[in-house]
Amino acid sequence: MSEDLVINIDGKEIKAKPGQMILQAAMDAGIYIPYLCYYPGTKPFGACRMCVVSVDGVRGTPASCTTPVTPDMIVKTDTTEIVELRRGIMDLLLSEHPHGCLTCHRIELCGPTDVCLRHVSVNDRCVTCPKNERCELKDTVRWLEMDMETPLTYQNRQIPLKTADPFWDMDMNLCIVCGRCVRVCDEIRGDSALTFLNRAGKTIIGTSEGTSLLESGCEFCGACIDACPTGALVERDYKWDKAIKTIESVCPHCPVGCTMKLEINKRDKLIRAIPDSQSEVNRGQSCYKGKFGVNFVNSKQRIKTPMIRSKGELKEVGWNEAISFMAEKINTYRNNKEYYLLLSPRSTNEEAFVAQKFGRSVMGTNNVNVSSNTRPELVEYLGQMLGSYAGTNPIWDLEKSQTFLVISANMTEQHNVASLPIKQAVKNGSELIVIDQRETEMTKIASIWLRPKPNTEAVLIGSILKVIIDETLDDHNFINENTLHSDQMRKSLVSYDIIKAENITGIPADEIRKTARIIARSKPFATLYGLETVDSTVRADCVKMILNLSMATGNIGVEGGGLYPLLNGANEQGAKDAGCIPDKLPGYVGLDDISKVAEFEKMAGYTIPKTPGWSVEEVAGAIEAGELKALHVIGDSPSLMNGELAGLVNTIDKLEFLAVHASLENELTSRADIVFPMETFAETEGTYTNIERRVQILNPAMSKKGYQASSWSVLSQVAKELNVGGFDYSTSMQIFDDLRRHVGPYKGISYEKLRKESGIQWPCSYKESKGTAILCEVDQPDFKKIKFAPVELKTPKDSINKNGEFILAEGRVLLQSGRTFELVENNKRNEISREELLEMHPMDAKSLNLKDGDLVELEGDTVKLKLKVHVNGIQEGLVSTTELFGSYAGRLDSSSAPDPVLNSKNLSLIPVTLKPVE
Amino acid sequence: MSSYEQLKTLADARWAELTEGNVPWIRIGMSMCCGQASGAYETISAIKEHLSATGIDATVSEVGCLGICYASPVVDILVPNQNRAIYGNVTADLVVDLINKCLVQGKTPKKNLLGVVDTGEIKSKGLPYFNELPQIKLQNRIALRNAGHIDPKDIYQYIARGGYLGLNRSLAELKPEDVIEEVKSSGLRGRGGAAFPTGVKWSFMTRGKKPKYILCNCEEGDPGAFNDKSILESDPYTAIEGMTIAAYATGSTNGIIFIRHGHDGPIDATERAIEQAYSVGLLGKNILGSDFSFDLEVSLTGESYVAGEETALMEAVEGKRSMPRARPPFPAAYGVWGHPTTINNVKSLSYAPSILEHGAEWFSSIGVNKSTGTAIICLSGNIKHPGLYEVPMGLTIGEVINNIGGGVPGGRKLKMLQTGGPLGGVLSSDSLEIRLDFDEMRDAGAILGSGGIIVADDRTCAVDLTRVLVAFCQFESCGKCFPCRLGTTNLLEIVERMASNKARIGDVELMKQIGQTMQIGSLCGHGQLGFNPIESAMKHFKEDWNACVEDGVCLTGSCDKPHFNPINTRSFADAPIKSTAPINLTNQIGENHE
Repeated sequence: MSEDLVINIDGKEIKAKPGQMILQAAMDAGIYIPYLCYYPGTKPFGACRMCVVSVDGVRGTPASCTTPVTPDMIVKTDTTEIVELRRGIMDLLLSEHPHGCLTCHRIELCGPTDVCLRHVSVNDRCVTCPKNERCELKDTVRWLEMDMETPLTYQNRQIPLKTADPFWDMDMNLCIVCGRCVRVCDEIRGDSALTFLNRAGKTIIGTSEGTSLLESGCEFCGACIDACPTGALVERDYKWDKAIKTIESVCPHCPVGCTMKLEINKRDKLIRAIPDSQSEVNRGQSCYKGKFGVNFVNSKQRIKTPMIRSKGELKEVGWNEAISFMAEKINTYRNNKEYYLLLSPRSTNEEAFVAQKFGRSVMGTNNVNVSSNTRPELVEYLGQMLGSYAGTNPIWDLEKSQTFLVISANMTEQHNVASLPIKQAVKNGSELIVIDQRETEMTKIASIWLRPKPNTEAVLIGSILKVIIDETLDDHNFINENTLHSDQMRKSLVSYDIIKAENITGIPADEIRKTARIIARSKPFATLYGLETVDSTVRADCVKMILNLSMATGNIGVEGGGLYPLLNGANEQGAKDAGCIPDKLPGYVGLDDISKVAEFEKMAGYTIPKTPGWSVEEVAGAIEAGELKALHVIGDSPSLMNGELAGLVNTIDKLEFLAVHASLENELTSRADIVFPMETFAETEGTYTNIERRVQILNPAMSKKGYQASSWSVLSQVAKELNVGGFDYSTSMQIFDDLRRHVGPYKGISYEKLRKESGIQWPCSYKESKGTAILCEVDQPDFKKIKFAPVELKTPKDSINKNGEFILAEGRVLLQSGRTFELVENNKRNEISREELLEMHPMDAKSLNLKDGDLVELEGDTVKLKLKVHVNGIQEGLVSTTELFGSYAGRLDSSSAPDPVLNSKNLSLIPVTLKPVE
Repeated sequence: MSSYEQLKTLADARWAELTEGNVPWIRIGMSMCCGQASGAYETISAIKEHLSATGIDATVSEVGCLGICYASPVVDILVPNQNRAIYGNVTADLVVDLINKCLVQGKTPKKNLLGVVDTGEIKSKGLPYFNELPQIKLQNRIALRNAGHIDPKDIYQYIARGGYLGLNRSLAELKPEDVIEEVKSSGLRGRGGAAFPTGVKWSFMTRGKKPKYILCNCEEGDPGAFNDKSILESDPYTAIEGMTIAAYATGSTNGIIFIRHGHDGPIDATERAIEQAYSVGLLGKNILGSDFSFDLEVSLTGESYVAGEETALMEAVEGKRSMPRARPPFPAAYGVWGHPTTINNVKSLSYAPSILEHGAEWFSSIGVNKSTGTAIICLSGNIKHPGLYEVPMGLTIGEVINNIGGGVPGGRKLKMLQTGGPLGGVLSSDSLEIRLDFDEMRDAGAILGSGGIIVADDRTCAVDLTRVLVAFCQFESCGKCFPCRLGTTNLLEIVERMASNKARIGDVELMKQIGQTMQIGSLCGHGQLGFNPIESAMKHFKEDWNACVEDGVCLTGSCDKPHFNPINTRSFADAPIKSTAPINLTNQIGENHE
């Protein structure tokens, strides 16, 4: 690290970092230099020339956004020449930008709700600009204290508005061609969906292919909107609304946990979510879910009061009645394992802590779980082998990785912002290896895409590790000094013969060798695994092997290396940390660890039931068998709504009692015996923990429009009704304080600290600790040797087609430049219209007597499609189809459901049958 | 792999066969600019037709440009054991007679004869010498030494005429730093416009990691300049050898010649020449048996003038929209794809072979003051002998125009000069005493720039010419930085207003204000110099402006013609101009309200 240097701006000495531009240094020091085209995170551009300064010894007027600081530099930001120059440029700019908002003499007089008295032509009125009063251009003009008389002729561009694409509106008459949107899209998002069009005075922004965002590979992340300084690009929903307050909170859609600034209008509605540019989690970025998928909190269909079913119909009741009804009902199921509590991953750590406590102390069962915990193996073995039940490295460490291995994870959709550092690093030359049957955006940018037969991933990764060990490319020193059981692991690998692996996985031996050599040679190497398509029978082996690979190559505890379990739910990590899982107590205390459980009981003041509860996957079976009679569902769970746990949902009629806490009516509330109205993330206070172990605080942004309550307060009252002690909580902070008494790594975290920082990464076990970015750093005093796990080779059951049975891999990408499509306008919205293809192995095609271009009908549990056959090199027994993201975005946009993201199905592997169409 | 000596022996033998053999050698100037435009295609096919019809044995070659555009199409006939004579304006209908007289009757007809060239044994008494022509005599052709003489498709002809001696000497005798030293002491300055010492530029590249890039800039979008493209079209080998030398000096591994798209002559010639150089081992791995390797390719631009700006050029090479980058970082530190890069103009690189062949002292003895070597001038407009002339630095502009160019034709008076491209501004007839010298021209408020000189006679209106120049600047602005994008657009609007006699009070002041914003505010030279045309025209031709702005008349009458209609390049600016008074925004709003 090089030392800070000192520069002088307008006579004030300030500190600057080497390599920083003058503008950045000035901003850090709180000195304002006007700018329009500069945008944090993008490369220096220097187009608007608004940030010009004078530097002693430098000719002319350099732009401060492109001039790096040098020691003892003397900068002046307000000489007459500079001020005049800025005004001159602004004059020019206003010759083509509507500026009624600056010049109308009624500005001072007009109240916020007044009718415009038409002193300005229609196009130029302040009320016809969606960014009126939140426009950077206007702020800059005012700061420049300009004389609002200009001799230049004003000309409106008269470009028609674009309003047919999903989610956003584009008014190029308001564009100042600063290029922020183009650069954000290209440099930060890696999409290049936007570009400059035309030249000279006609230069303008447009889509890089075609005329619609659907054609240009847009991922609808909204980064361009966030970057736009004027009203040219805006969110369509609540376009004209102004915020009266802005509250920082955390996005409830995925475990990346983006910090969002929630804008609330005067009618107390959430009108916009803007990713926080200062946040260390998302660095000003978010995705289509966070940006356009949070309006559900304003829905008129929100449940407002508790409801009890009587005579087959839900009736609104008061809280007291609801609580005593609930207490009376569940009293029957106490201490007999017939009760199961299923918590939404959108619930806070506090809710999770109270839920597990309720289950264990009130209901006397370990039947508590978080509904997204369908793949518990992801973190289970991290705990067993590395010591902590969570990912090892921070998200933005990925910028420094030389190689990535992404295993069965649709990152750009499920963990969007975590894919950004990968996309950027790949652009800068890092290698990306993807193992996935589905074609996703990750496979498109991958240098190697391995598409093995379903459920052979463990064998594939094992054979990669075998090559590394056989060719002595492993990190001997790391293995010898920092690990245990490497001999057993080596021994178990003997059976992973590369030819055998080729046969089992369908991946050519050469590809396996090539992959192994890249992984071993280009370090640091980061592994990201979601195992979204991997069956539970092989998932454990797969995770163990992934960990073995990372350990054997010495990528644990290093920056840019490490393991990233890509969990499903937004706060799944936090819910697990808080103990809302059937086999572990808060802080991952195993039920079989008698001394620790006793210790826990002593501190908690209640006894812990000793048998573990059922896993999420076992619940449906238990209901079916009549062993489980009461289900208590807390919160809106994507996995219960999008078909992932369809098996469970289908059995609920067999239950004796179903209690649901929900914010919106859904399939479960329509069958529940009691429904509690629930707060959403925008109304509640609490904490989330993301996949990099970062605990962040959610602040209530809007007030409740009904009698909604957080689940912890409901559960506490029910407990009191049942005369169970230990539930005297009145604020979420009290719960958090209780939680951190039990969960060691949270000990040093407090609400007070969280409000100051952009989250704290656990372990943070003492008051002064700033948290831990990277786990298992070998030079840390508390480092314990990490353990290899031997994995015997198992041949998965044959997936090759029998009786016309196939596995369909659903894919989705942003752009398929080789294929054209038609853009049709439907209900004033652009839609993609094209014939989808079904990729198929030549042998399969032969056996079904199909050739390229034939039509085929495909049917499965949830799908029925007519597709055109495309014979290619996919695995036998596997077929796949890839749609465009634009189609998906269009569906989300036009969906009538209040929370489309909750219901939208993830890409998966589906058993299907095929039938040629005559 | 061949050594230089082997190549030279082979080349000499081939050359001797052409020049000293028994078969006549006919060379026709086929360059894109004037050759093809004046009918060289028809001429060459007539020649070929006639030769095959009569069975006369002769070698016919398509060569580049001798620079005497006024005499195109040019036919150069070498008759064995007799002489080599150059004929001008040989249109297709003159071919039969000319071939018959030269090759059948053994005569040297005086009709259309420009002159004979000394081939050592002159058997043509009383005939004019080609080299004694005023157009040729005042020249000192270094970069253009082979243009029009060799077939640009045959690398051996280039080698036979001394090609690759410079590179051979560099590789065999000199270390890279010696090459840089040699170029430094030759005083060679960049011919692209900024006149930065080429050797110094190369020395910036000695630091930095490989791969390093050397780029050759042949964007040359200036109207009235065809110098760079002519070099590549007539003798691409000079530029290629120059680049190879530059690469050796700077330790570069890769080179890219960047040519404006659509100019097929130079593009084809360069691509073919690169292919040949690879095939004989003058490019690629271990050039001429040394440890030095260098790869070269051609890259094309879109239609963009600003792509000639060095950082915009790098963007274009990377396949992006050609908009200038902010500096620092400078190309030598962070160039194409982030690698160290040097960018030189075709002309600058084309001097390198001769400098390395003859030495720095020889080069610096040519020229004047700090401007050594020659200036390549592309002379056009209202001039008797338009052409491409390479003259020693230090000649006055008047000498070039009157002695070489033959002055303004038709008894008209010279009124204006436009030098160094549209951004260079205009000069008046008082400027004829200015010498071709980077510094002297700069002090006089003009630039040598690309080397184009456009001559305008007294029928031209200064305001109208300015309008055309401003329209060019506006249309070619890349649209990146605000002062240039909006400044040129507004300037054009005002100048068009003036040219159509609708000037408003205060327009001149307004233009000056915009011009100043552009000069100090713009990101690259395009915007910084974008006000030059107006500023210089207002300085030198006050009467024209005053008449136009104040009296609403055109002194030359050229703007009053009925067909006169300014091209309005700001398409969205077609709303009627409402008032002649300076517009107050609030007033304008009131107007709309009515």
